[in-house]
Amino acid sequence: MPAKIIIAGEGGQGVQTIAKILTKAAKKSGKNVSYLPSFGVEQRGGVSLAYIQVSSRPIPYPRFSKADFVVTLSSRSCETIKNFISDNSLVIYDSAEIYEKDINELKAEIKRFVAVPAKNIASEKLSTKVANIIILGVLSAQLKDISFQDFQDTVLMELAAKIKIKPELKELNNSALQMGAEFAQNYESSDHLTGKSPDETVRSFENDKVKWTRFPEYCKGCSLCILSCPVKAITFAKDLNFLGTPMPIVDMEKCIGCGKCMQICPDGAINVEKK
Amino acid sequence: MAENNNFPKSWKKSSKPHKFCPGCGQSLALKNLGFVIDELQIADKTVYACDIGCSLLTWDMFEIDTIQTHHGRVVPTMVGFKLAKPSAITIAFMGDGGGYAIGAQHLINAAMRDDPITAILINNANYAMTGGQMAPTTLVGQKATTAPNGRDWQKVGKPIHGPEMLAEIAQEGSYIARTISTDIADCKTKIRKALQNQIDGRGFSFIEIISMCPVNWHTDALQSLDFSEKEMTKVYPLGEFKCPQKLA
Repeated sequence: MPAKIIIAGEGGQGVQTIAKILTKAAKKSGKNVSYLPSFGVEQRGGVSLAYIQVSSRPIPYPRFSKADFVVTLSSRSCETIKNFISDNSLVIYDSAEIYEKDINELKAEIKRFVAVPAKNIASEKLSTKVANIIILGVLSAQLKDISFQDFQDTVLMELAAKIKIKPELKELNNSALQMGAEFAQNYESSDHLTGKSPDETVRSFENDKVKWTRFPEYCKGCSLCILSCPVKAITFAKDLNFLGTPMPIVDMEKCIGCGKCMQICPDGAINVEKK
Repeated sequence: MAENNNFPKSWKKSSKPHKFCPGCGQSLALKNLGFVIDELQIADKTVYACDIGCSLLTWDMFEIDTIQTHHGRVVPTMVGFKLAKPSAITIAFMGDGGGYAIGAQHLINAAMRDDPITAILINNANYAMTGGQMAPTTLVGQKATTAPNGRDWQKVGKPIHGPEMLAEIAQEGSYIARTISTDIADCKTKIRKALQNQIDGRGFSFIEIISMCPVNWHTDALQSLDFSEKEMTKVYPLGEFKCPQKLA
């Protein structure tokens, strides 16, 4: 029987990157493997899926209806993966990215799971961008057929072009993979699903003249507001928007309430109101 | 939740965040269009058609009747709609691929016949949805996936100047202009004029909006702004090429 794996997440989170690494690592370990990427017409955003099968025998057909390993990285993809969960499925999800309410809706379906706070681990110890590699590390511990060495080699091979420009990425991705694998080994399963609590980000900032509001559910982190600000009051904050990219934050001592950021925002994610 | 004044009333709430990439100039142009529709209060009688390419991502953008067609056919579709129902306000929204390449004949003939519709064309200097191939609007020397050494004008010609071309053949009542998505005031004024021209029933209205494509240009936000505001406006001058006296 082939191991059937489905990985789902937001476009831009690195779903297809980890899927490619997994596929190549399986090939390197001498397995038969099939990989079917599936995403919408948009180049960024939208739910992105990857169907993967790993087997020691030939694989006749790349699609499947129930998966052995269901990996999900974002709240929006929870709805999509619902149909792929069977009683034997192991659900691996990012508990620092997915809202508790969304994952709890799948309570009836999920029998076995690993809740990985990958985004928190990544942003505290490494960099938010390697959250997907941590998830891959957790997945690698479940796939006993593929050696960990092959995973390590393939990560470096797949990211070789990026490592050439930024050499520090080599160490970063390597430790992310190891952290993920260690997390899986030390993981003690609990019986309730955990997730992100809603609306922890601050939305509104005020001074005596202006109220400045941001909308994390619309913001895509394009940084046009930062460039348009004539007094340089806006910078990137540490908190993230729905795409997992940084959100702008305003220094209300500098803000003059001109509304340039509001006008240039292509997503309607900033509102400036004069009092 | 705080009220969002930066969200046009004619935009559909349930389909947001919209599907455009971060920093896309097209969504900025559509926000301006949404605000102009709000200001003119024409949402209930407007019909909106989007072409194929990145512009098809707007098929659920507005709380307005919407049609999606292929390769520049938005123009004849909207002409047909206008003929059948003259009280409707018809907006044909397309990209430079649909309007200037595959579907160019529709745009040219609509301008020649002086059909009373509003056509809005986004110029981002490449075929963005398919991955950044060379378009008729790609600048000379600009790199694209099908022109890895930059556009060679001796082999494939020079960039097309749509509004200038249409102004040559359009008739007196036409409104033809070019604007840029990041100049909000200018962009809104020209969209408003283009729609007002149709409401007044003078004739064909066309605006080209210069846009940004950070993903396919491989630029960050600052470089995208620089490229669209400095490089592109050098080749594609902003302005009104044909404007009825009553609108000016």
